[in-house]
Amino acid sequence: MILKKRRLPPLLVSFSVVALVLTLTSCSKSISSTETLSAITPSGADANAGSWKMIVLTGPTQISVPAPVATTDPGYQSELAAIKASQGILTDAQTSAIAYWSAGGTLRWNEILRELVARSDLPPSPNADGTYPVPSATNPFAYPTFPFSNPPYAARAYSYVSVAEYEALKVAWYYKFLYNRPSPFKLDPAIKALLPNSNLPSYPSEDAVEAGVNSALLQLLFPTAVDEIAQKAAEQEQVALLSGRATASDIAAGEALGKAVAAIFSTRAGADGMKAAGGNAALWQSLADNTKAKGEVPWVSQDIPARPPMLPIFGQVKGWMMSPTDFVNERPGPPPSTTSAQMQTELKEVKDTVNNLSRDQLATVYKWADGVSTVTPPGHWNSIAVPYVVAGSYSEVRAARVFALLDMALHDAAVGCWEAKYYYFNPRPSQLDPSIKVQTGLPNFPSYVSGHSDFSAAGADVLSYLFPSGASYFAVQQQEAAMSRLYAGIHYRSDIQVGMDHGKRIGEYTVRFAKTDGAN
Amino acid sequence: MMMNDRDVQRKSKSGCGLERVRNVGVLMTLALCFIVSPLLRAQTAEDGIMLARQRLCTGFFYSHESWDHYWEGSLERMNGNVGTVTTQSVLWTGNYAATNKLNVLATVPYVWTKASQGVLHGQKGFQEASFAVKYKLISLPISQLGALRLIGVFSAAVPMTDYTPDLQPLSLGNHSKRIAGRATLNYLGKNGVYMNGTTAYTLRGNVKLDRSSYYTNGQLYFSNEVAMPNQFEYTVSTGYRKNDMTIVGSFTQQQTRGGGDIRPQDSPFISDRVNFSKVGATLTYPIPHRRDLQYWLIYSNTFDGRNVAQSNTFTTGFLYTFNFERKRATP
Repeated sequence: MILKKRRLPPLLVSFSVVALVLTLTSCSKSISSTETLSAITPSGADANAGSWKMIVLTGPTQISVPAPVATTDPGYQSELAAIKASQGILTDAQTSAIAYWSAGGTLRWNEILRELVARSDLPPSPNADGTYPVPSATNPFAYPTFPFSNPPYAARAYSYVSVAEYEALKVAWYYKFLYNRPSPFKLDPAIKALLPNSNLPSYPSEDAVEAGVNSALLQLLFPTAVDEIAQKAAEQEQVALLSGRATASDIAAGEALGKAVAAIFSTRAGADGMKAAGGNAALWQSLADNTKAKGEVPWVSQDIPARPPMLPIFGQVKGWMMSPTDFVNERPGPPPSTTSAQMQTELKEVKDTVNNLSRDQLATVYKWADGVSTVTPPGHWNSIAVPYVVAGSYSEVRAARVFALLDMALHDAAVGCWEAKYYYFNPRPSQLDPSIKVQTGLPNFPSYVSGHSDFSAAGADVLSYLFPSGASYFAVQQQEAAMSRLYAGIHYRSDIQVGMDHGKRIGEYTVRFAKTDGAN
Repeated sequence: MMMNDRDVQRKSKSGCGLERVRNVGVLMTLALCFIVSPLLRAQTAEDGIMLARQRLCTGFFYSHESWDHYWEGSLERMNGNVGTVTTQSVLWTGNYAATNKLNVLATVPYVWTKASQGVLHGQKGFQEASFAVKYKLISLPISQLGALRLIGVFSAAVPMTDYTPDLQPLSLGNHSKRIAGRATLNYLGKNGVYMNGTTAYTLRGNVKLDRSSYYTNGQLYFSNEVAMPNQFEYTVSTGYRKNDMTIVGSFTQQQTRGGGDIRPQDSPFISDRVNFSKVGATLTYPIPHRRDLQYWLIYSNTFDGRNVAQSNTFTTGFLYTFNFERKRATP
């Protein structure tokens, strides 16, 4: 009997090993790093997009695009022949590239941008003497690499890329319908259409416009990624050609257009106040002194060693839909005094909340943490827009409009929020009560008003205008994002409530523009 | 029949023998390292000796682990935002010998963490429960000197709660299901000479986070799911063990077969490439006049590594052995 027993276990063991290995391997699969997007077939051509209202440019003809040669031209005919030759020898890599870009360049470039933001979203390590080095745009590869794409930097970067791309595509649409050159696959039946076909005239190539404008601005904003950005742009242009959508001359004209628009935005970016946004030691001290003079407790960095405040002059950076006066006019009223009974009540609420979190509340904290090494809250709202853009089957120019409007509002929210944060220089809960410990990284800037709340209200406002069917979902996301900061122990309730009101008012500036931009 | 088995003969004299306790001890030590270096896993049954049949060896350990230096990639540094990180735990463990060849082990750890500086909130809760089946494949008497054994172990670990692994380095662990296969070669001399070599390979299941994207190893992943690289580990140990008294020193290395480095000033991430070398010592001592009760003290130090804390760990506890065979035999 004992003998029998002793025979059985090895069998049981091996059986259970096999069963467990199967269980584990079945839930263990590789994770795709890119967004899973299928090919988009635009539901409309948006033929009038060349007349939609511009934001920075004066009009489409501010960029000149020369007329293309006739399709009977021998040079053009040899371009068609080159497409046919290439389509005959497609490599696997080229086929996957076609599938990748078939989701639409606007969505793919937005995804690339989010990745660049997350990669650069790292605060510098302290020096041995307790000071911190500052990333340098003129020496971007040296540590700390440029940029540190914290939320304000990221908000600005998303907006520059999205707005410039939108402007460039409106220009492209203007010339497409001015010159009306058909796609290669329409002109020559031997050329296959390997991408969804929208009957869009092919000159200048919208893919090349996107490649030109995105690569130029991304290389300005994220200079250390110069090689991979160039490679992505080249790949998108190659796909335009291989897919039978554009010839070499369509692509050359598109890229030139995209780069010309990017140059205008680069100039704007060089003079929008960002370079001075970090301030200096004297300014940091004056912020504290001014707050003390008002009888309030000034914010101090709780990083160890103490870190200079994040971009204290970002509130002076140029907005898209708001003037400097608008930002001052929209500035929220003051927070509860640091010595007031209300502040004590709010402080107690923070402590009680962070020490008694439910698992759901904790999940909300992490869902919306969007701290170091992430796409940041503005990027999170870009991600939220993606499925709506996909479901809309938008033309490239209409898809670009979504991100341009959203990112303008998010940038303006960043400027307005930072203006308020450094105007009031209000301490975090964990500064007023050091017994408060937080559930996510503590941002290194003043508390009032909450950036998450400001961004999320502005983002939800614009997206609700663009996608009314999603309005209740966006509202839930906004509430979650905002409240996650109370759960995490890093914001008072008034930071959150006032921040949401502020973000909503800022979002309305963009919505008012969108209502009259000619795209409705 | 059993008299032919020298190991069992030798062991059956005592209560909670070195072997099963040591199993637990090593498991324990690693379970604690795991807390700091999320990619370590709780191990079981590293030694090559079996608990004699129908005995249950069980008890509790308390462990205290702390560190103020860690390797950010391969850069050794401190971080003022956490200061000294302390992880304490209480661990229940049990080892039941179904037969002389087959032991079944289980552990349940409760863990709490805190940082001495900065503002991060400490975490507390149950971590991964682990189960192991340990099977003696070969036992070879070597003349009159001692015996050589080959042991195979299969183990699995499952998170007991839905704690978040996303607040490194203060999270309780990395919340991954794990299975591991282990082979151990052991020599135990009649004169007390103890030599042990053991190696294990661990497969880890994907982990789901509460967020929709994460950046690691040079890439942004648009997913809430994280693929966890597998891990390889070996330990050699040697020392003295006789009459349930043990003094053993050990050396362990672990390699993670993939994963990224902690980036400058970033937090660790659950799928990082965690490698380390550590040394340790284990002392076991049978309580006089209570042969079935045994005192344990374990120390370990991680002295080299990558994406891991430079931790010192002290573990102490008592184990008691119940002998069901004896009881049954006595009318």
